[in-house]
Amino acid sequence: MNVIMANCTSVQYEPVAEIGGGAYGTVYKARDTESGKFVALKNVRVQTDQNGLPVSTVREVALLKRMEQFDHPNVVRLMDVCATQRSDQETKVTLVFEHVDQDLKTYLAKAPAPGLSAGRIKDLMRQLLSGLAFLHSNHVMHRDLKPENILVTSQGQVKLADFGLAKIYSCHMALTPVVVTLWYRPPEVLLQSSYATPVDIWSTGCIFAEMFRRIPLFCGESEMDQLGKIFEVIGLPPPEEWPTDVTVQRKNFPPLKARPITDFVPEIDEQGAKLLMEMLAFDPVKRISALSALEHPYFQDEEKKS
Amino acid sequence: EKCTSADERRAPLRTWANACGSIDRCQPVEEESRTAPVKLEPEHRWVGLLFSSYAVEGCVEAPVLLYPHGLQGLHSLHALVPSLLRLEVETALEKLGLSDRTYAWEVFLDMMKTQMRNSLPSADLSRHFTDATRAILVDWIIRVHELLQFQEETLYLAVHLLNRSLRQLKVTTANLQLLGIICLFLAAKKEESLLPDVAGLCSLMDHTYTKRQLLRMERKVLCALNFEVSHCPPLHFLLLFASVARCSATVVWMARYLLELSLLEGQCVVFLPVQLAGAALCLARQVLQECSTPEGEAAWCLASSIHVGSEPTLLRIMHILAGAAAKASTQETCATFIKFSSAETLQVSRHPGLINAAGLLGACS
Repeated sequence: MNVIMANCTSVQYEPVAEIGGGAYGTVYKARDTESGKFVALKNVRVQTDQNGLPVSTVREVALLKRMEQFDHPNVVRLMDVCATQRSDQETKVTLVFEHVDQDLKTYLAKAPAPGLSAGRIKDLMRQLLSGLAFLHSNHVMHRDLKPENILVTSQGQVKLADFGLAKIYSCHMALTPVVVTLWYRPPEVLLQSSYATPVDIWSTGCIFAEMFRRIPLFCGESEMDQLGKIFEVIGLPPPEEWPTDVTVQRKNFPPLKARPITDFVPEIDEQGAKLLMEMLAFDPVKRISALSALEHPYFQDEEKKS
Repeated sequence: EKCTSADERRAPLRTWANACGSIDRCQPVEEESRTAPVKLEPEHRWVGLLFSSYAVEGCVEAPVLLYPHGLQGLHSLHALVPSLLRLEVETALEKLGLSDRTYAWEVFLDMMKTQMRNSLPSADLSRHFTDATRAILVDWIIRVHELLQFQEETLYLAVHLLNRSLRQLKVTTANLQLLGIICLFLAAKKEESLLPDVAGLCSLMDHTYTKRQLLRMERKVLCALNFEVSHCPPLHFLLLFASVARCSATVVWMARYLLELSLLEGQCVVFLPVQLAGAALCLARQVLQECSTPEGEAAWCLASSIHVGSEPTLLRIMHILAGAAAKASTQETCATFIKFSSAETLQVSRHPGLINAAGLLGACS
């Protein structure tokens, strides 16, 4: 009682427009009345019991705030966090992020006719992987990487958004119907096997291909359909790579052979194709890491030229 | 609004003693029940959190930038004896279980950098409370912390959160204890695997506050602190330096005692964890006057080289701690004195050398 809050989200941020339904709740564009700048407000509704805010929420948000200290250029800024009570069972946690007008999806759609240049794609990829390496070295996985949550500023700077949220949401989320696109999901997630940071590398591979194609690489309509489309490109994996802890069986899929990736991504150069295949490795253990990907000849090649 | 009489101020803090029995209802922190089967991700995730290594481009390469004030010495030393100091620090961090070998140096640089964040520039935490009032509250937190058998890190984090909350929030005298318990509760949520339930905390405070009030304060503190509840405790610096300096068990216990006393001192809130730890260890050595070996002296020189450039600050802290230790036994706020008078802590708080510790410093400086 008689406690005056130092900063109150509802007063400081004035909603301007709804900018996304999102699987996990509504996202608003708002104006920071103090600075006049635009921000993105993300509300997370967490279920609270008699012991207050869940431990996982406290720790996850603290981790995001701690990472914020490093000021990584390829990660979206988390400016403010606020918690307000909605009911005895529910607390709304508002995360205030910097607002970037454009995502990679729009950026790709807006690119004039032949699409992005090879150099531009390489630059975007390097930034994307730098951001990802930073998240992974802090034990944060994104889990839902897709063109919609990769932001591109007007200066061409890539900023990853919505990382770490998946975990905050999934732990104690008040139930909302979750509709998440399957297109960037790796086989281990589709098969409901165990997974870790390699999930993000798979998604990055899909996005890498999409930068050339300007349409998604695998557009499945169900989990099984998505897996089928993946195997049409990378081939059915050998039996020893099939995870043992899953119900979906390998024999349910036709014994397809891998096709050259250039059949699907004709514009990609040789080193790019090699890197892409290392990102689209079926076995997550064999998939390249973000740090190693940055060391790949695909990127070194460019340095030599410049 | 000035402080009211001492009795009125202290009344609620005394009630902890009435309700000691009711808080052993600890419940395990729910292991994050993720809806997706995340089997590969190891559970040491949260161990990695405090000391998560950071080895991505650029940020670990420029140590000069990490120490904007007071710690300039580290850089020059780093240039002089880089390999030896680095090796010692890496070995110590690994031995203490604070890092694995590969990332140890990055972890150390990260510790040095992190402590700069959230440091409090001045000692004026709140216009409404005196240092004496704050000391009574911290003393109470220390007692509850001990009662709940929390880890040391949790205590340092709780007091750190308290200091920042006092800055950010306007709290009435009547709600000071409420703020204190919430800081401890939040620290526990961050650090502990067993948590007391809120009902238990209420009965601990003789039901002075309702559960609803506790949960409301939790949200207010989290908002005011912007959910920034990561902290590098001075204790980790202390253990690190003690390990590099090959200090004896008695010296380490004495330093831990002095470091915990610093929590009660309002003047100490402005100092960095690395400085508080260095000062506590220096003073502990001077008080105990153990006979030294050439190897011991060399090790000590290497450890103290981290503080090159901040000796005047260290001396100031040592004076504050010496004064605090000399009067600790006679104070009302004596939880720390009692804690460190036990056999397990080698009864360091009762060491006769502490009575004249300030005089000792005068002679040296």
